Amino acid sequence: MSEFHDEYPSYEHLAHHSEEDGKKIRRTLWNVFWVMLAITIFELVIGSMAPGHGWSGTLWIKVLFIGLTILKAGFIVMAFMHLGHEVKFMKYVVLMPYIIFMAYAIFIILDEGVYSGHSINRTRVDPLLIQQQEQLRSGHGHHDAAAAHGEEHHEEAHH
Amino acid sequence: MSHSTEIDSKHAWDGGQSPLGVSYGKMMMWFFLISDALTFGGLLMSYGFIRHKYSDVWPKAENVFTHFPGVEQHLPLAYVGLMTFILIMSSVTMVLAVEAGHRNDKKKVILWMFWTIVGGAMFVGSQAWEWYHFIVGTDTGALRHVWSQELHTYVEETVYGANMTVNEYGVPQFANYFFFITGFHGFHVFSGVVINFIIFLNVLKGTYEKRGHYEMVEKVGLYWHFVDLVWVFVFTFFYLL
Repeated sequence: MSEFHDEYPSYEHLAHHSEEDGKKIRRTLWNVFWVMLAITIFELVIGSMAPGHGWSGTLWIKVLFIGLTILKAGFIVMAFMHLGHEVKFMKYVVLMPYIIFMAYAIFIILDEGVYSGHSINRTRVDPLLIQQQEQLRSGHGHHDAAAAHGEEHHEEAHH
Repeated sequence: MSHSTEIDSKHAWDGGQSPLGVSYGKMMMWFFLISDALTFGGLLMSYGFIRHKYSDVWPKAENVFTHFPGVEQHLPLAYVGLMTFILIMSSVTMVLAVEAGHRNDKKKVILWMFWTIVGGAMFVGSQAWEWYHFIVGTDTGALRHVWSQELHTYVEETVYGANMTVNEYGVPQFANYFFFITGFHGFHVFSGVVINFIIFLNVLKGTYEKRGHYEMVEKVGLYWHFVDLVWVFVFTFFYLL
């Protein structure tokens, strides 16, 4: 029975299912849960082993983690949020705008974000860290990088 | 009146049915979630940009989040692993409540929604604990250059913990993004718990039993799964990478 006075089907009631179907659905949901738990434990094990093996920050570990994250996101959206069982149009309406916008945004940040590596944009970082870093890079003791950065800030403050 | 969930794509736009095959409320919840997902997408991209820019001075999460309640030794990533488990678990109890709603099984809806609320509250509490330890910092602290308003220059100071201007563990930007993004997500979890609780009260009162369907549980469930979905990404970008 629909609460609306038109001929549209009542989608609220169409989602109902029987006891037997419910059993099947529950089994699927629990399977999804175990798979997601296994992925998370795997990620944590790899994540805590990474520093000891020098894997931190390597490209393959980043790709692995992002890939597993997208896999988990797919499980949540398709199984838990039930999008996998919605009508084809509904899937496209939800997924396409997001995928297109994010793909464009990621492309543009990678393509246009290159200027930020310039040293002039780095003055707001902790100068002690910059100093340590530049000492490491140049390989000799005292470098007046921190002092130079301090002066820059001094000037900025007066402007 | 048609009672078929199957929509013939050739006649989907001919009228008399929704081409999307869902009710208005559910569709609008999805549209809201898309916009919210874009917000989080923007935040995480901004985080990735700044992190990449300062990649050589960016603190490593496994050196920052090492505490576990009641344990003296350092257990990197263990606590956040537990938090992730709690949130995934509460997502499962939510979807079981939705499934029970499709069978008009009021008792099971009450049971699973109750555990969802418990899980959500535990997650918010865990996040508060995590924030507390990040703000307080270690006993020894670390030497950092801190901007002095009087001298108009940086002075060396021992810094304990992190706030919006200084960070014991590394660049302050790490703390800024951590507070903003996990805070924004935590606020979503908090509102999710509140909304879940309101719907829970309605289930107890029998509002949806009278209505003949539990679609409100399904809609609030969509929001709850979205919160879990965002956490999956926050977890990867803040703690793993």
